[in-house]
Amino acid sequence: MLYTGKGGVGKTTTAAATAVCAAARGKRTLVASADAAHSLGDVLERRLGPHPAPIAPRLDALELDARVEMAQHWGRIRDWLVQVFRYQGIEDVVAEELALLPGAEELTTLLAVEAHARSGRYDLIVVDCAPTDSALRLLTLPEVARGALRVLLRVQEAVTRVVTPLARAVVPVPLPDAAVFRDVDRLLYRRLRALRRRVTAPESSVRLVVTPERMIIDEARRTFTELSLFELGCDAVVMNRLLPPEAAGEAFFRDWGRLQEERRREVEELFAPLPVLPAPLRDDEVTGLVRLRAHGDELFADAPPDAVLCRSEGVRFRRDDAGHFLELPLPNAERDALDVAKLDDELIVRAGPRRRALKLPRRLVGLGLASARLEGGRLVVRFARGAEA
Amino acid sequence: MRVILLTGKGGVGKTSLSLATALGAAARGHRTFLLSTDPAHSLADAAGAKIGARPVRLAERLVAQEVAVLEELDRSWAAIQSWLRELLRDEVDELVADELLVFPGLEELISLRAVREVEATGEFDVCVVDCAPTGATLRMLRFPDALRIFMENFFDLERRGARLLRPLIERVRGARRLLPREEFFDAFERLYRDVEDVRRILLDGARTTARLVLNPARVVVEETRRSFAYLSLYGVATDAVIVNRRLPREASEGFFARWAEREREEMAEIEGAFPIPILHAPLFPHELVGLEPLRGLAAAVYEERDPAAVYTQARPIRLRKRGSRTLLEIDLPGASKEEVDVSVRGEDLFVRVRDAQRKIALPASVAGRGVSSARLSDGVLEVVFEP
Repeated sequence: MLYTGKGGVGKTTTAAATAVCAAARGKRTLVASADAAHSLGDVLERRLGPHPAPIAPRLDALELDARVEMAQHWGRIRDWLVQVFRYQGIEDVVAEELALLPGAEELTTLLAVEAHARSGRYDLIVVDCAPTDSALRLLTLPEVARGALRVLLRVQEAVTRVVTPLARAVVPVPLPDAAVFRDVDRLLYRRLRALRRRVTAPESSVRLVVTPERMIIDEARRTFTELSLFELGCDAVVMNRLLPPEAAGEAFFRDWGRLQEERRREVEELFAPLPVLPAPLRDDEVTGLVRLRAHGDELFADAPPDAVLCRSEGVRFRRDDAGHFLELPLPNAERDALDVAKLDDELIVRAGPRRRALKLPRRLVGLGLASARLEGGRLVVRFARGAEA
Repeated sequence: MRVILLTGKGGVGKTSLSLATALGAAARGHRTFLLSTDPAHSLADAAGAKIGARPVRLAERLVAQEVAVLEELDRSWAAIQSWLRELLRDEVDELVADELLVFPGLEELISLRAVREVEATGEFDVCVVDCAPTGATLRMLRFPDALRIFMENFFDLERRGARLLRPLIERVRGARRLLPREEFFDAFERLYRDVEDVRRILLDGARTTARLVLNPARVVVEETRRSFAYLSLYGVATDAVIVNRRLPREASEGFFARWAEREREEMAEIEGAFPIPILHAPLFPHELVGLEPLRGLAAAVYEERDPAAVYTQARPIRLRKRGSRTLLEIDLPGASKEEVDVSVRGEDLFVRVRDAQRKIALPASVAGRGVSSARLSDGVLEVVFEP
């Protein structure tokens, strides 16, 4: 179970509360932080390290030192990049920064978590994911890199045999050697693919954490689309920091209370069919096992905290000769009451009283709508190719 | 032209403060242009006015525009993308490829090109930019360096090579699409020049400064400290920090009493972490939508100050290289040797001066290394890291 959302929305607290609650209800649980700025230890009020430490009965927790993990997996690739940059007279500090792939840290952490998932020692693994989508993006590297890499390896062979002596004379840059390619190969093919299989499996899901703020909600919508695109299933939205009645009742916060009710309805519409789990703002930070347990119990009520709450497929994208298609489950929708339009980077779907607005992947933003029809409870939207648009 | 970049984590109120800054500058008599380069535009929503991809007049002496990021990107990136897409064709779906071909940060940097266009009109004194420079954007500031390597070393070779090798390679099955076409090289060259232009503007500390917007909440402060370190590292001057949504006294009792206390702790933290001017904005009892409420915000933040002034040109934290060692210089005016204590924990450098502790975020490349020496002379603390 991957919790994701922008930094500061209460992701870590929610992840910890879920884990504490699941363990208390009998599940063997591991909670891991994949966020470089670790705060899991603060929330659990324990010092955590890179190995699972027992926190409570059936509950282990860990915080990985991404740097150590990084050196293991990316070391050689990084060294080569640093060498290239340094060769060009870029100061070392900057060269080293440049050589850190965005998202690599988080991804490395996920790789380490995958090893624990494989161990079979846990019923549930809760991951507090970094507030960035680059890690998720990197998950598709295996497919992306396959082609490029296959070609590169072939080129590499040719280069070593024929061109290198020549190239070294002409190109004053160190060429990557076979070890670099081998590392890339091992990392991408075996470990990343295993990880990808794990996170796209039906027993895995992503939960989005939001607060009742416009920017935060917008950002989560984009993540939601990206996740669908990368075939990672979301099963719930946690709406955090809702002002409880005693706070919304204070004169100063009356308007904010009204506004958040609106936002909550919006989130329910925007992320349908995902269930929205409301979590109140507390009068202080939620830390320690007792408070986390209470927070988790209120969040899940009677639902099992480890369950995948929604198996709806969500949005699907596909392509054939006729163009790009977007498919959206719309159970019970009627054709007469259906209206589909594209507005800037969003697809607006009105089905009777329900309205959904979906952020589109970049590729589709530039295309026009060709057709939209209902097929067995699903809305199928076709996008026009260039000239048709 | 004065350029003010308002940056910060999403959700801290960056857009409202950009509008407030621009309104304040215009009210002071500066001809002001307000630009949003954040791909998730919210300028129009916050202003309660129509603002789009074309410049519109928002108030007296104030023009605003939301950069059409995707179009901008296409303009310079399309040819390069189509080649990369070709490369990936059999491996991933086109949709996925397109999302992947967006280099984190490049998008935002490219849209900063609009600043150059505002400057070229010669009609404005101040340009306020509502942008989202995350670590990735700042990294892209060094993109020209990486590109230059390409340009100077591979480029001519590849260009010539592509021409020479094409007939040969076209015979190898599947290899043909790997050879980039002329358009690709032209596009690359254009992109390089554009980024170079943006960089020239951003790194000119005499007129361009960043203002970091944050809320007094721990996670936000932590991340903003990191942005501050990266801005320093990449050479962008930061002339103020704006602490937004401070709990006003009437909201600090009852339910929020404990939160108000936490806020006081965070304020101490903020003062230690940002040795530059700190401005304050309260939480208002309602959402700030529309020009009038935003003028109220401007008055609260800037009071008697001119929002367009450069508040400080100091770079209180500098990262340098000496031989194989990285060293960090920190201005500590008035401190004496006996009063200073330095230590590293995780990704932070802790500097204790008398009773005040300062926590400085370290860039990833030095984080985790030990300190080999620390020396104080003439009010400057020099910390040398192990190689």
